[in-house]
Amino acid sequence: MKNRTLIYYVVLLLGISLFSCKEKDGYHSISDKIEGESRPYHGNLSSEDLLMDTELIQITEGEFTFLIPERKGQIKSFACIECHSKPVSQMKGTTAQKAHWDITLNHANSDAMDCATCHNGEDMNSLNTLTGKNIDFNLSYKLCAQCHSSQFEDWKGGAHGKKVAGWAPPRASNTCVNCHNPHSPSFETRWPVQYNTQKGIERKEGLDH
Amino acid sequence: MSENKKWYSLDLGLNKTKKSSGTCGCGNAEGSCSSTPKKEEELSPDEFYEAAINASIGEERHKDGFDQVFDVKMDRRSAFRKLTASLLIGAGAVSTSCSVTTGDKSKEKAQIDWEEQFKGNYKLMTDEEKQGTIERLMRSYELRTDKNISMTAENAAEDVLFGYAFNISKCQGYMNCVSACVEENNQDRNSEMQYIRIHEMKDGEGFKFDKADDNYYHEVPAEGHFYMGTQCFHCDNPPCVEVCPVQATWKEEDGLVVIDYDWCVGCRYCMAACPYDGRRFNWSKPEVPENEVNKNQHYLGNRMRKKGVMEKCTFCVQRTRKGKNPACVEACPTGARIFGNLLDPKSTIRWVLENKKVFRLKEDLGTEPKFWYFMD
Ligand code: SF4
Ligand code: SF4
Repeated sequence: MKNRTLIYYVVLLLGISLFSCKEKDGYHSISDKIEGESRPYHGNLSSEDLLMDTELIQITEGEFTFLIPERKGQIKSFACIECHSKPVSQMKGTTAQKAHWDITLNHANSDAMDCATCHNGEDMNSLNTLTGKNIDFNLSYKLCAQCHSSQFEDWKGGAHGKKVAGWAPPRASNTCVNCHNPHSPSFETRWPVQYNTQKGIERKEGLDH
Repeated sequence: MSENKKWYSLDLGLNKTKKSSGTCGCGNAEGSCSSTPKKEEELSPDEFYEAAINASIGEERHKDGFDQVFDVKMDRRSAFRKLTASLLIGAGAVSTSCSVTTGDKSKEKAQIDWEEQFKGNYKLMTDEEKQGTIERLMRSYELRTDKNISMTAENAAEDVLFGYAFNISKCQGYMNCVSACVEENNQDRNSEMQYIRIHEMKDGEGFKFDKADDNYYHEVPAEGHFYMGTQCFHCDNPPCVEVCPVQATWKEEDGLVVIDYDWCVGCRYCMAACPYDGRRFNWSKPEVPENEVNKNQHYLGNRMRKKGVMEKCTFCVQRTRKGKNPACVEACPTGARIFGNLLDPKSTIRWVLENKKVFRLKEDLGTEPKFWYFMD
C-alpha cells in the first residue's frame, strides 16, 4: 500500500515537472535567452566584402575599436595649405581669390562658436581643439565630442550613427561629418519620399479600420 | 533530386536515357509506341502531356492560393474527369516514354508545375529538397519570362539571433525605409502594399495609434510631432505561428518569423492573431513591373508571391543571411534603425539594449518582440 502511494507521488511529481517547463528552448524570456546563449560571433558571415570599396581607418576609443570612413580624400580642396600658404590674418584683404563663399556657419550661436573654434588660422591643414591642440581631419569626431559628449558615448557604443555595410563584423560606422554638415549640422525638413495613394483612397472611402 | 521525396513525382521521361529501340516501357503487347497515329483524334505525345496535366492540376496552374483552396469546383463530373486524368497520366507517362523528344519546353513546364504542386512544406524539407524547389522556381521563371532570377535557400547561421532597435528621437519621418522596402521585397505595386508604417504622433500624447497618421504628406518633421515605425517585430513567442492551421509560418533558428508562400492556404488567422499589424495579405495577384523586380531572392523572403497568400517583413532574409543589413536600415538617412546579432556581446544592438532605456510595444502580452524602441 505504502509503495503504491509512493509511486503515485513520484508520477505526480514527474508530471508536474514536465508541465511546468513548457518553454520550448528552456528560456523564460528573450533576455534570458540572449544572456544564456551569448557568445562572441566567429561565424562565416562578414561585412568585409561589402566594405571593400570604402576607404576606412581603424580607431580605438576607450573599449571600442572599429572602422570609420577616411575623410581627407573626400574633401575636395584638401590639402588646405595649397591655398592657405600664409596665416589667415595675412591673407585677409589681399587680392587673393575669394573662397568658401558657400559656407555659412549655422552651428550653435555666434557667441559660442566661430570659425576659429575648430580651425586654426595659423595651421589650416589640421583642426584645432578648444585648448589649441591639433587634430587630424580624419579624426574630426574628436572635435565634435568636446561639446556633444552624450552623442559621443552613444556613437562609440553604436546607438548613434549609421553603420556602413552590414551587421556582421567587422564593425564600420559613419563618423559625425558623414551625416552632419559640420557648418550646419542639423537635419533639414523635407517632403517624405512617398505617399500611399491606395491608403489615401481607402481612407476617404472610410474603409480604413 | 533526392530519391525519398515527400511528394509524388511525375516522370514524363525527361530524365530517361534512351531505351533500346523496339521496346516500350509500357509493357503492353498491343497498341504501339510508334509515331504513326492510328485514330484521327489521337493526340501527339506533347499534347497528351499538356492535356493530362491540365486535366488533373490544370486549375491550380493558373490560379493562385486563395482560389486554389476555396474555389475548387468538385462536382461528380469533374471529380470523375480528374480521376481518369490521373490514371491516364500514370499510364500515359509510361506508355509514351520511348517516343519522347527531350527538352521540350511545355513538357518541362508541366513537369515543374507538377513537382511544385505536390512538394512538401519548406519547413520539413531537407537541404537537398530545398535546393530542388528553388531550382524549379528559377527554371520556371526563366521558362515563363525568358529572364533569370537568382534564388537561394540559405539556412539560419549558427550563433545568430536577429534583433532590431529603433531610435524614436532620430526618426524624422522621411519614409526612405518604406520605399526601399517595397523595392527590395517585390511588394505588390497595384495595392501599394507596404510592410513598414511610419506613424506621425503628437508630442506629449504618447503612443496613440488611433490618433496617429501613417499616411501624411507634408514637410517633415512637422512641428510638434514625432515619428515611429512599425513592421513585423519577429516575436520570440509569436502568436501568429501558434494559430496557423497548416504550419505555413514558423520561427527560424535565427529568430526570423517566416512564411512558406506555397504552403499558406490564405485563411488569415495569423493576421488576426498578430497584435502588431505585422502581416499583409494579397487580396489580388501581386504585380511588379519586370524591370523593377529584385532578382536577388530567397525562398522565404522576397520571391514573387501569388494571390491569396500572406506575407510580411522578413528582416530581408535574402540580405541578412548574407551579412548585410535589411534594406530599411541601409536606406534610413538618420541612423534611427539599428540591426544586429543579439547573441554577439560585441554587437551594437547589444550595446543599445544594455545601455539605453529600451522598451517594446505591448510587452505585457508576452509575445517577446525582438524589436526595441529607445530614445537618445
Ligand atoms: S509582429 Fe505579428 S506577425 Fe510579426 S512575429 Fe509578432 S505576432 Fe507574428
Ligand atoms: S494565412 Fe496565415 S494562418 Fe493562414 S495558412 Fe497562411 S500563414 Fe497560416
